Amino acid sequence: MRPAQDNQGSFLGRISIRRNQFTDVNTEQEQEDLELFQKHIADRFTELLSPPPPPQPPSDETNTAASVPATEQIMSVTWLRKLMDVFLCCEAEFKAILLMGRDPTQISKPPFDRLVPEMLDRSIKALDICTAVVNGIDSVRHYQRLAEIAVAALEQRPLGDGNVRRAKRALSNLLIALSIEDKENVSGGGRGGGSSAASKGGATIGQLKSSSWAVGRNWSAAKQIHAMTANLAPPRGNEAAGLPLPMFIMSTVTVFVMWVLTAAVPCQERAGLANHLPVPKHLNWAQSLVGIHEKIGDEWKKKEKKGSAGLMEEMTRMEKLGHSLVEFADGFHYPAEKEAAESAAAQVAEMAEICRRMEEELVPLQQQIREVFHRIVRSRAEILEVLEQAGKLSAPVV
Amino acid sequence: MEKNDKDPDDHHDDHNDKSSGEEKGDVVSDAHPPDDAHQDGISKDNVDESDQDPGDNVDKVDSPSGQEAPEIHQTLESLSEELDQLLSSLSLHQEEQHKDSNTKEKQEEEDDYFQIPQFVGKFLDLFEDKLTKHDSGEPKTTTWYQDPEEVSSLLDAVDRVSNLMKLLLNTKSCLDHHEPLINHAGSIQQRAMAFLEDEFRILLEESVIIKEPSVVADDQQDHHSDAVVVSQDQDQMVAPECGDQEIEYPGYSEEMVTLLKNIAEKMKGGGYLWECREVYLVARRNILMRTLKQDCEFEKVSVEEVLKMSWGELEREIPIWNKTFKNCSSLFFPGELKLAEKIFPGGDDEGSLFCIVTHGLAIQFLGFYEAVAMTKRSTEKLFKILDIYETLRDSFPAMEKNEVTSARSRLGETAINIFLDLENSIKSDSSKTPVPGGAVHPLTRYTMNYLKYSCEYKDTLEQVFKSHSTMEREEEEEKEEENSPFANQLMRIMDLLDGNMEAKSKLYKDIPLSCIFMMNNGRYIVQKIKGSAEIHEVMGDTWCRRRSSELRNYHKNYQRETWGKLLGFLGHEGLMHNGKIVKPNLKERFKSFNATFDEIHKTQTTWVVNDEQLQSELRVSITAVMIPAYRAFMARFGQYLDPGRQTEKYVKYQPEDIEDLIDELFEGNTSSSSAATAKRRT
Repeated sequence: MRPAQDNQGSFLGRISIRRNQFTDVNTEQEQEDLELFQKHIADRFTELLSPPPPPQPPSDETNTAASVPATEQIMSVTWLRKLMDVFLCCEAEFKAILLMGRDPTQISKPPFDRLVPEMLDRSIKALDICTAVVNGIDSVRHYQRLAEIAVAALEQRPLGDGNVRRAKRALSNLLIALSIEDKENVSGGGRGGGSSAASKGGATIGQLKSSSWAVGRNWSAAKQIHAMTANLAPPRGNEAAGLPLPMFIMSTVTVFVMWVLTAAVPCQERAGLANHLPVPKHLNWAQSLVGIHEKIGDEWKKKEKKGSAGLMEEMTRMEKLGHSLVEFADGFHYPAEKEAAESAAAQVAEMAEICRRMEEELVPLQQQIREVFHRIVRSRAEILEVLEQAGKLSAPVV
Repeated sequence: MEKNDKDPDDHHDDHNDKSSGEEKGDVVSDAHPPDDAHQDGISKDNVDESDQDPGDNVDKVDSPSGQEAPEIHQTLESLSEELDQLLSSLSLHQEEQHKDSNTKEKQEEEDDYFQIPQFVGKFLDLFEDKLTKHDSGEPKTTTWYQDPEEVSSLLDAVDRVSNLMKLLLNTKSCLDHHEPLINHAGSIQQRAMAFLEDEFRILLEESVIIKEPSVVADDQQDHHSDAVVVSQDQDQMVAPECGDQEIEYPGYSEEMVTLLKNIAEKMKGGGYLWECREVYLVARRNILMRTLKQDCEFEKVSVEEVLKMSWGELEREIPIWNKTFKNCSSLFFPGELKLAEKIFPGGDDEGSLFCIVTHGLAIQFLGFYEAVAMTKRSTEKLFKILDIYETLRDSFPAMEKNEVTSARSRLGETAINIFLDLENSIKSDSSKTPVPGGAVHPLTRYTMNYLKYSCEYKDTLEQVFKSHSTMEREEEEEKEEENSPFANQLMRIMDLLDGNMEAKSKLYKDIPLSCIFMMNNGRYIVQKIKGSAEIHEVMGDTWCRRRSSELRNYHKNYQRETWGKLLGFLGHEGLMHNGKIVKPNLKERFKSFNATFDEIHKTQTTWVVNDEQLQSELRVSITAVMIPAYRAFMARFGQYLDPGRQTEKYVKYQPEDIEDLIDELFEGNTSSSSAATAKRRT
C-alpha cells in the first residue's frame, strides 16, 4: 500500500504534463470535474446516512429489532470505518481536482493566496485531532478488555457469587473509566494517584490517565474544531463556480469528519463540541452530511449533560449494558434466579458481540485514522510543492 | 443421606462460628440454599457406596480429618497437605472417568459421585481468614509480601483453591452434587484474586527502587562509565540490603520481579490473567509516562505548536525529543519488554503487552518528527533532521514498522529537498558586487562549510539519497551510475557553485583579478574537501585532481596576463641598433617597467589570497619568472646607464627589491600601496 502511495506524487506530475497540453479543454473539463465531485460527495454521504439494505441477508437469525443492522448504524465502529474510507476517497478526488493539470501560478493568486493557506491550516489542526483520536481508541480498547472480563465471568456456569463479583468489579472499572474519561476531559486536569485508597472498594483496576496521553498541554479538541470552522464560508459570486467551491467542500468534509471522530471516542477537551458547524443546508452535496450532523449533534447534546466518553455506538451500548449488568450483580443471590439469569445472559451475549466487533474493528479503525494522518501530511506537502513551483515561476527571471 | 448432607452442613457451621463480615454472611446463605434437597436426593444412593467402597485413596484422606479428630487444631498448612492429596486423587478419579466414559456410559452416571470431605470447607474458611487479615485495609507494620513464608503460604493457598475450582468444575459429579461448595470456593477464589490484583497494582506502582542515574545523560559514553562506578559504590555500601548490583529500569528488585511473576502466575492459574494483564498495562503505561516526564522533562506538543515554533525553539526541542527517544529505545522500551517477558513468561503475548504499553508514546514521537519534517524547509534544519532520521533508524524498536517507515521517508524527502533548496539558492544567488580583492566569496564559504558539515552525516545521507530519491531524479542520475546518488548531488552542487563563481568572476574588469578570484575559490573548495575525510571520500580523488589542474590553468592565465606584459619590457628587441644600444629606448624601457611594476604592486597588494600556500605558490612562481629575467636584463643593459644620477633615475629596483615587493602582493592591504613603495625606498 505504502509504495503505491509514495509514487503517487510523480504519477500525478506526469499526468499533469499531459493535461497541460490541452489547455483549451480545461475549463469545460473542470466544470465537469467539479460537478462530478459534488455528486460523489453527495452520494457517499447519502450512503452513510442511510446505507442500502444488504443485498441478501445470508441468514435470518440475527437482526432483532432495527431494520438497519447494528453494525451499519451511524457511529458504530463499522460505520466509522466507512466514514474514514469516504474521507480518503473525497480527499484523493479533491487533490486531483486541485492539482492535476493545473498551472501552479493559478492557486497562488487571489483569492487562493488566502484560501489555500487557510485550508492548510485546517489540515494541520486535523492532524492533531487524528492523534488525539488514536489515543482515544486506545482507551476504548481498554474498555473492551474490561468488558471482555465481565463477559467471560458471567458466561461461567454454574454462575456463582465469585463470577458475579468478578464481573461487577470489571464493570465498575469500565463504568468508572467511562465517566472519568469525560470528567477529565471537562476539567482537563491531571489526577494524582488516589488509586490505592479506592482499591479496597472493589472497583479499580487503575485508570488510564487519559490526560497524560493527550496531544499537548492546553490542547482542546473542541477549540480546534471551532478554529477550523472560523473562516470557513461558502464561496460567493463568481468564486462559487470555480475552484474555491471544492476547496470549501473538502474543508467542510474534513471538519465534519474530525468532529465526528472527536464525538465518537474519548478525546481531550470536548466542552462545547455541540456548537454549530457551519454546514450550508441548502446545498445539494451537503444534505446528507447535514442529516448525519444533526443526528449526532442531538445525541451529543443529550449525552453532554450527563457526560459521556464517546458516542461510538458500541460504547454507548456497552455503557448501558454495563449499568444493567451491575444492577443484576447487585441483586444477585446464589443460586441465580432463572428469569434474572436469562435476561442477564442475553445482555452478556450482546456485550460479547460488542466486544467481538470491537476486537475486529478498533485496530483497523485506528490504522485508518493513521492513514488519514499520513494522507493529510502528504497532500499538504504536495500542495506546498506546487506553490513553491508557482513562486519560482512568478519570480522575476534574473 | 447423612454423609452427603454433612459437607455443606459442617461447612455451614464452621462458617457461622467465624463469620465476621457481611461477605461471609452472603456466602453462608448462598452456600446453603434451601433447595439443595434435590441434590441429596440424587446422590443418596451413592453415599453409602462411596463410604464403604472408597475405591482409591479417598478413604485414607477422608478418615483422619473428617471423622476421627474434628476438634484438632487445624491450620492452613496442615490442611494443605490433605487438600493436595485430595486434589491428586480427584484428578485421578477424573482421568479414570474419562477413560471409562468411552466404554460404559451408563455406569458412569452411577459411579462418578465423589465425596468431598469436610476439611475442604475448613480450608476455605481458614484461607478466607487469611485474606481478611491482609485486605482489611488497616495499617500494618509489615505487609504480607515482606514475609517470604507468608508469601508462599498465601500464594500456595491461592493455587490450591484454583486447582480445587478447576477440578470441581471439570468433574461432572461435583457439578451435580456440590454446587454450593463450588459457589463458595469460587467466591473465595474471586476474593483472593481481587486481593492479588490490588496488590499487584500497588507493587507495580510503589515498589520501584529509584536509582540515581537512571537516564542517559547527554553524553552517552560518560553516562555509561558513571553508572558502572555508581553501581559499584552501591555494591559496597548499600548492597547488603537489597542485594541487587544493578537495578535497571524499570527498577524492581529481582525479588520483586519474582513476586510479581508469581502473582501473575497464580492469577493465570485461576483464570484471572486478563485482570492481571490489564492492571499491568495501565500501571506500566502510567509509570512510563511519569518517568519520561520526570527524567527527560518530556512534554507533548501538538503538530500545530511545532509548526508555530521558531527554529530557535524547535532546535532546543528536538534534542529533548531525541534524548527521550533514545532513552526509550535504549532503556525504557527494552526494559518494558524485558519486564513483560519476566512477569508473563512463556506466553506469546508479552510482545503485544509491550506494544500496548508503548503504542501511544510511539505515535507521539512519530507525530512530533513528522511535524518537524513539515516545518518550513531551510538548509539550517538539515542536521537536526538527519539527527532525527538516524534516531529513528537506529533506535526504533521493532514495532509500528509502517509508521516508522513513513516518518522516515518524510524526513528523508525533506533532507533531499533541502539539498535541492541549496542548489536553487546557489543558482539564484546573483549578487552583483564583487568581493574586494578577489577573495573567497561568502557563498563558497557557506556552501563548502555546509557540505563539509553535512558530510559528517555521509553514511546517512548516502542512505537517504538511495532510499528516498524521487523517480525523476533517479532517471536523471542513471547516466552517472558510477557515483552514488549523494555523490552526484554533491557534484551537482559543486558544478553549480563553480558556474556561479565563474559568472561572478566576470564582474571583475581585471582579468588577472578574476583569475585570482577563481583560484581563491577553487583553492578554498579543494582545501575544504581535502581537509575532511568524509567529503573527500564522496568527491573522490579524480575530482580533486581535475579541480587542481583547473586551478593551475587559472594560475597560468594570471601569470600570463599580469607578468607576461611586464616581461615584455625586459625583452631585447628594439634596444640595440646595429650592435649599439639605443639609450632613449632603454630609458623608456626602464621607465615603463618601473611604472608597470609599481602599478601591479599597487593594485595587487590589495588583492587577497588568504590561503598561505596559494599565496606563497603565487609569489614563488612570480619570482621564478621575474627575477632571473630582471637580473639578466640588468646584467645586460644596466651598464649602459651612467652610474650615479642616471642609474638612480632609471634603475628604481634592484632584483632583491623586486623580490621583496613581490612578497608583498596579495596581502589585501587597503592602505595605499605607494606608501609601501615609499617605505621600501627609504
